[in-house]
Amino acid sequence: MTLLRRTAYSSSASSSILQIAGTFFRAPHSSTAAVAGSTYGVHVFQCPDTVGIVAKLSECIASHGGNIHSVDVFVPEDRRVFYSRSEFVFDPARWPRVLMDNDFSNLSKFFNAKISIVRVPDLEPKHKIGVLASKQEHCLVDLLHEWQDGRLPVDIKCVISSNHERAPNTHVIRFLERHGIPYHCLPTSPGNKREDEILNLVKDTDFLVLARYMQILSGRFLDSYGKDIINIHHGLLPSFRGGNPSKQAYDAGVKLIGATSHFVTEGLDAGPIIEQMVERVSHRDNLRSFVQKSENLEKQCLGKAIKSYCELRVLPYELKKTVVF
Amino acid sequence: MVVAGASSSSSSSILGIASGFFSRALHSSKTSSGPPTAVHGIHVFHCPDVVGIVAKLSECIALRGGNIHSVDVFVPENKQVFYSRCEFVFHPARWPRDEINNDFMKLSKLFNAERSVVRVPYLDPKYKIAVLASKQDHCLFDLLHRWQEGRLPVDISCVISNHVRSPNTHVIRFLERHGIPYHHLPTTPRNKREDEILELVADTDFLVLARYMQILSGRFLESYGKDIINIHHGLLPSFKGGNPSKQAFDAGVKLIGATSHFVTEELDSGAIIEQMVERVSHRDTLQSFVQKSENLEKQCLAQALKSYCELQVLHCDTNKTVVF
Repeated sequence: MTLLRRTAYSSSASSSILQIAGTFFRAPHSSTAAVAGSTYGVHVFQCPDTVGIVAKLSECIASHGGNIHSVDVFVPEDRRVFYSRSEFVFDPARWPRVLMDNDFSNLSKFFNAKISIVRVPDLEPKHKIGVLASKQEHCLVDLLHEWQDGRLPVDIKCVISSNHERAPNTHVIRFLERHGIPYHCLPTSPGNKREDEILNLVKDTDFLVLARYMQILSGRFLDSYGKDIINIHHGLLPSFRGGNPSKQAYDAGVKLIGATSHFVTEGLDAGPIIEQMVERVSHRDNLRSFVQKSENLEKQCLGKAIKSYCELRVLPYELKKTVVF
Repeated sequence: MVVAGASSSSSSSILGIASGFFSRALHSSKTSSGPPTAVHGIHVFHCPDVVGIVAKLSECIALRGGNIHSVDVFVPENKQVFYSRCEFVFHPARWPRDEINNDFMKLSKLFNAERSVVRVPYLDPKYKIAVLASKQDHCLFDLLHRWQEGRLPVDISCVISNHVRSPNTHVIRFLERHGIPYHHLPTTPRNKREDEILELVADTDFLVLARYMQILSGRFLESYGKDIINIHHGLLPSFKGGNPSKQAFDAGVKLIGATSHFVTEELDSGAIIEQMVERVSHRDTLQSFVQKSENLEKQCLAQALKSYCELQVLHCDTNKTVVF
């Protein structure tokens, strides 16, 4: 704003001043050229490590007028693997989306990359997710509210619940109706986990969120779905796997309890960990306050994990770990 | 001072007040003549819960001119058990040390207490401890330095190790300087030297395992009979046993921790006293996992010992603690 007003003023000055002024005040015009536009892009890259990757990636962005704002690079001590995440701003007029994909694809081939993903949030559809829940609502409700507040940049395709019927006048059902999000109640039994129906309902999604979904998804389901599934476990893994970890923790007399969000694999509560959070407990806590503190942690931990994932901060690392930039 | 001098020529009533007030002030300033008149005491109590315990305990203290400064009371929701810890100041002239013991003993019997302990740090001997360590030094060092700085109010009877340390190492020179015996008792799978250890620690009030890597048998624990505090370099119950840093590193956790706890026959399973965590990420190597862990172990063990010495730690249920 200030720059534009100065330009108008300098137009009535002498030519020499004008010239200097022009050079100086060319800023507004040059800002659209030197400043690279204001569309925001994120690129993540994983490939075998070698000299020159950062140089080539950054040159690729710069040669199209992109301005890099943030780079995280990580090469582990003992393995020749390269991970990077770059945030940059660019002008889609100068660097159209399709060309961008091609350019990064070329680099990906050049470096034999395992992962090369570019995302331009403003130009692309949001991540489509399916949310699975059971009786416990706190994570589901928190997720829905965060989404409504615009803090969870996803498209919720549907909510699927096992076992638990929610009556039409409950908060969750009314919320989902108001926002046009389908709710599917698929009661499970030991012999039938309704996996085929679930697969059908979620086949268009980009990833799934298990918001205290208490059914175990089979290896077959995981293979068929094929995409990432993020779970929240209400314990500090690997402590207290399985059911009722709050009670397990309470009985164990621990002084810290926690929550863990992780990718789902065939082993129960064993997939790569994305985020963990703790809170102190003491003799003054009873089982109820253990549970309350735990629920609070679960909401925060799951929310953080989903945001990190959507921002392309989470990359698989070795077999059981994650890089979280 | 001046007023006291002036008051010596005033009426007896002012003198009475003045001498009471200023004599206390004079005595409570650091002079070479005897202890301060007001002394700190701590009392912990654990008994079946009934109405009236706090009333009786506080009355007992007040009757003797004791002034209660702090009280923690805890009665669990679902059990009729009472725990309390009281800090008070009193005058030994009005309430002699052995009478304190008697008075609380009466209350202990009245309420059928499981535990009633009173401690007057200024008058009572410090807790006598023995420290057991293996090869890893960091917890032992930290403990010894805190002790030297007066932050660990104990008397270290001896240090026992299954790891040999040569005379010119920091630990050995430190112990020599302070006249603390160091006993090297190498163990083998068949011989854990437990009888010798028992003999060396017979006079101690409790033991500290500062990264002692041998498992003490049930027989040892029964024979010793007193509390043993251990530091485990993992966030129990995760990563019990050996090399928890590596276990944690391989598991890809985002938080690592340390746990101090009482020793029971089962490995790393006794009642937990204190836990601490620190964040780790993909940028951490096994080495930085270990470094962060060592830092946590030192703090966690120190905190546990401090709480224990201040009578803040009480056993609760079979495997838990109340830590006031």
